[in-house]
Amino acid sequence: MTIGRLVVLAVAAGLSLSAAPSAHHSSSAFDTGKKLVLKGVVKQWIYSNPHCFLMIEVKNDAGEPVQWVAETQAPSVIFPAGYRRDTFKPGEVVSVTVEPFKDGRPFGRILQTQLPDGTTLGVAGSPPAASVQAP
Amino acid sequence: MLRPLLASMVGLVAASGLAVEIVAQSPAPGGWLVPDWNKPPITDATRKPAPRRSLVGMWAPAGGPGAGTQASGVLAKPNNGRPENALPYTPYGQELYKSHRALEGADAVVAGQDNDPRNTCEPLGVPRYNHYNVRLTQFFQDEHKIVLLYHYDNRWRVIWTDGRELPTVVDGGVLIGGEFREQRFFGYSVGRWVDDYTFVAQTVGTMPEDRVWLDSTGRPISDKVRVTETFRRVDSDTLVWSETIDDPKVYSQPWETMRLPMRLHDPRTDLMEYYCSPSEQENYNRIFEGTAKGKGAQ
Repeated sequence: MTIGRLVVLAVAAGLSLSAAPSAHHSSSAFDTGKKLVLKGVVKQWIYSNPHCFLMIEVKNDAGEPVQWVAETQAPSVIFPAGYRRDTFKPGEVVSVTVEPFKDGRPFGRILQTQLPDGTTLGVAGSPPAASVQAP
Repeated sequence: MLRPLLASMVGLVAASGLAVEIVAQSPAPGGWLVPDWNKPPITDATRKPAPRRSLVGMWAPAGGPGAGTQASGVLAKPNNGRPENALPYTPYGQELYKSHRALEGADAVVAGQDNDPRNTCEPLGVPRYNHYNVRLTQFFQDEHKIVLLYHYDNRWRVIWTDGRELPTVVDGGVLIGGEFREQRFFGYSVGRWVDDYTFVAQTVGTMPEDRVWLDSTGRPISDKVRVTETFRRVDSDTLVWSETIDDPKVYSQPWETMRLPMRLHDPRTDLMEYYCSPSEQENYNRIFEGTAKGKGAQ
């Protein structure tokens, strides 16, 4: 798999986050333990059941846009960690750490996100205090 | 329909002196309390005795929001292929299991090839509601009944405590006072206090095996099951929810499916809706399948 200029493989980056298994596809599809940091432009944020989707455009090594889908849990599950319907706005540049699919498809499970103002949001169960940091 | 029921139950709870204790505060913008998944552990210094004969409260898995998800199967026997977690299937039970194409577990299939009734927002039924995304769960009670409000799909269920008899299971339904009655997703539940801190409930008359699963790994359950749940109030803040199933049609012997410690949360906590919407499910599948086709893949 080609990882783009804006995509940094963050192996053992000190992230000790974990995510609860997702429901509507097999959890085994994810490369558990692998962490990929995607930096890209928000195209759409779907705050909906059964899982939320963050669609971001990330450029690969050739400078071509790749549409990534970063998934997280249902709104009611991630709300306490700070995720809201208006958390991500189209056109903003965000950094998202995901556990990617094993097979190379541009799909991952969100472990952490960093918003343009520096706010960091974690997974479900993350302390709100840690989820809403001052920039 | 539920609102008058809850209002009357809250009134009864207050009238009966079963005070709902306010626990530690969590963020509450505008007074709308957010679920608090970061409570300090209970210590000898903070442990308080449980109230007598009360399950009232808003409870959630003590291990955090993922502790009751059970994507890998029921807590006591995850479906991971290990010999110690093999189930005592009858030949019919084994055949049923093979007919279920689950997205999780040792025999998982890939997305799109599964046949989990959950994916079309079918009611999960008892006991699967106890095995699927258990998070904040509210218990109300009065002198006649205990009511559980499951968060997933905003479902609720009644366990009668007024001494009525458990129905007799017959083919296709149950007998109540000699009258034939229908099968139900939540079955027919009755319970009693076996001591001041232990409540045992039994459920029969659930839906047949072509409508419901036991867990997300496709393990089966039939309409001949008797589900026994034990709710043990360990202290003021801790409830242990255990469950055993006895389903001779599918399993050759009874077995324990879960023992889930639950932690008391602030009863004023506001819960977002957590429904299963067919249209949102369809949208989810469309996006997921779009990615699965490799659109934009490198």
